[in-house]
Amino acid sequence: MKLFNSRFEQIAAIVRKDFLIGLRRRATFAAMMMFALTAVASLSLSTGGIFVEEKFLAALLWVVIFFAASAGISGTFDDEAQAGTLPTLKLYADAQAILFGKMIYVFLSLAALTIFILPIFLILFDVAVEKIFLLLMTILLGLIGIAAAGTLTAALTTSATVKGGLFPILLFPITLPIFLPAIRLTEISFAGGVFDISLIVVVAVFDLILITAASILFDYL
Amino acid sequence: MNKILILLTLAIVAAIIFFVPPIKGLGDLAKIIFFHVPTAWVSVIAFFVSAFYAAKFLRTFNFSFDKLSARAARLGFIFVLLSTISGAIFSKLTWGAYWNWDPRQTTIFVLILIYGAYLTLRAAVSDEKTRAKVSAVYSLLSVLTVPFLVFIIPRMYFSLHPSPVLNSAGRVEMDSIVLIVLIAAVVDATLIFVQLMRREIS
Amino acid sequence: MIVFDDVSLSFGRHELFKNLSLNLHSGKVIGITGANGSGKSTFLKLAGKIIRPDSGAVNFPTDKKLAAVAPEMKIYDNLTAEENLFFFAKLRGQTLTAEKIFELGERVGLDMKTFGNVRAENFSTGMRQRLKFAILLSVDADIWLLDEPTANLDDDGREKFFSEIQAAKSDKIILLATNDKAEENICDEIIQLPL
Repeated sequence: MKLFNSRFEQIAAIVRKDFLIGLRRRATFAAMMMFALTAVASLSLSTGGIFVEEKFLAALLWVVIFFAASAGISGTFDDEAQAGTLPTLKLYADAQAILFGKMIYVFLSLAALTIFILPIFLILFDVAVEKIFLLLMTILLGLIGIAAAGTLTAALTTSATVKGGLFPILLFPITLPIFLPAIRLTEISFAGGVFDISLIVVVAVFDLILITAASILFDYL
Repeated sequence: MNKILILLTLAIVAAIIFFVPPIKGLGDLAKIIFFHVPTAWVSVIAFFVSAFYAAKFLRTFNFSFDKLSARAARLGFIFVLLSTISGAIFSKLTWGAYWNWDPRQTTIFVLILIYGAYLTLRAAVSDEKTRAKVSAVYSLLSVLTVPFLVFIIPRMYFSLHPSPVLNSAGRVEMDSIVLIVLIAAVVDATLIFVQLMRREIS
Repeated sequence: MIVFDDVSLSFGRHELFKNLSLNLHSGKVIGITGANGSGKSTFLKLAGKIIRPDSGAVNFPTDKKLAAVAPEMKIYDNLTAEENLFFFAKLRGQTLTAEKIFELGERVGLDMKTFGNVRAENFSTGMRQRLKFAILLSVDADIWLLDEPTANLDDDGREKFFSEIQAAKSDKIILLATNDKAEENICDEIIQLPL
C-alpha cells in the first residue's frame, strides 16, 4: 500500500509539473489548438454551403483530432530530452511513474483540445448531434487509446535523429483499431440509427491492451 | 540460393503456365492469383516472425535477434508490396477496379503502413543499441493491432473477395489441380522466405 | 556496495571497458580520473545502472537509491528554484517545507528569500550548479554520482560542496568523476581510467 501511495504521489507530481511547464511555455498548447482550428476552418471554408455526409464529417473530426494530437504530444519526451531534464527525471522517478504521469498529462491535454475544437466543429459544419452520450463516450475512449499509444510512441521517437513527420507515421497504424470503430460510432451519433455495441467494447478493450502494453514495453526502453 | 528451391520454383511456374486450366472469362493474366496468394501469406508470416525475434531480442539483448527481426521486416515489406500489386491486378480483372477498400485490401494496406513505419523508425534512429530496442518495442506494439483489425475490418467494409481456400464451411471449392498447385506455390514461397532469412549477413 | 561483474562496454568499435570486475564500498569518496574520452562519465552511468553493459552486470541492493550531479542532468528552466527542489524531493516521497528549502539554500549558498521564486532560466551557470547541489542534498540517497560537480562554482561554492561531501560520506557510496586537482584532493581513493 505504501508502495502504491508513493507511486501515486510521483505520478501526481509529474502531471502537476508538466501542467506548470505547459502553461508557462504555452507554445505546445497553442500550436495544438491552432492546428485544430486551422484544420477545421480550412475544411469548413472549402465545403461551405455544400451538404456534407455524416460519414465524411465523422472521418474529418477524427482526422483533425489525430493530427492536432500529433502536433501536441509528439514532444512529450522530446521536449525534456532537448532541455536535458529527461536524464534527471529518469534518475529520480520510477519509469512507471514517468510513463503514467506523462500518459495522464497527454490525456488531459487531448481532452482540453477536444473541449475546444468539438463545439467549433459542430457549429461550423452545422451538425445536429442525435446521440450526444454516444459521441462523448466514443471521444473519451478514443482519447484514452491515443494517449496510451501516443505516450509510448513519443518515447520511441525521442531517440530518433530524423524526426520530421515520424510521430504520426508511427502512431497511425497502431491506433487504427481505435479510429475505424470511432469514426463509425461518431457517424451514428451524428446521424442516429442503431449501432453495434461490440464496436464500443472493442475500443475499450484495445485501450486496456494499449495501456498494459505501454506499461510492459516502457521498461525495456 | 538453394538449387532444389530454384528447381521447385521453376516447376511450379511451369505447372501454372501449362497445366492449370485458364480461369473462365478472365484470361491467362488471372493466373497472377498463384503469385498473389503465396506472397500475401509470406508477408503475414514475416510480420509475426519479425515480432517473434523482437520479443527474443528484448528478453536476451542479443543483437543477432535484432538483425533477424529487421531482416524479416524488410523481406515482409517486399512481399507485401508484391502481394498488393498482384492483388490489385487480379481485382481489376475480376471486379473491374484496382482498389475498392475490400476488407482484405484494407488489412494488407495496414500491413504496408506498419512495415513502412517500422522501417522508417529504423532509418531514423542512428544509435545501433537504441535502434534495436526502439524498433523491437514498436514491432511488438504493432502486432497487438492485428487481432483487433481482423475483428473490426470485416464489420466495417463490404467484401467482394473470394472466400479463403478453406472457407468457414470447411469445404474446398476448387479444382484439385488448382488447389495442389496453389498449395505448392505457398510452400515454395515460404521456403524462399526461410532461405532468405538464413542467408549470411553480408 | 556496488559490484561490477565482468563488465564490458563499447561504443561502435571503441572498446571502453573490457571484463571489468571490481567492488565499490561505502564510507569513502572514490575519485574516477582519466583523460577526456577515457569513460569517466560512462563509468558513473554504469555504476548507477543508468546504462546497461554489453555483457556482464552491475549490481547493488535494490533498496539503494541514487542521486547525482552531472552536466547532462539539467534542472527545469521553467520552474522556480523552490519548485525544482520541491518536485525532485516529491519524486522520492518527501515533502519539503519552506523552512527546509530555506535551510538547503543556506547550505549551498543560494539565498532562497531572494531567488526561491525566480525561474531557473534566469540563473547563471554557477547558480544552477548550486541549485543542483541543493537537490542532491535534499533527496534521500545511498549512492551519489558526481560528474565534475564543482566545475562552475566559485571558491565559496566549492568549499561548501566539499564540506557537505565530507559530512555525508560515512553512510554513502560517493563516486566523483573529475580532472580537477582540488576535487581529486578530497577523494579517499582514486580509480585511474583506462582500466
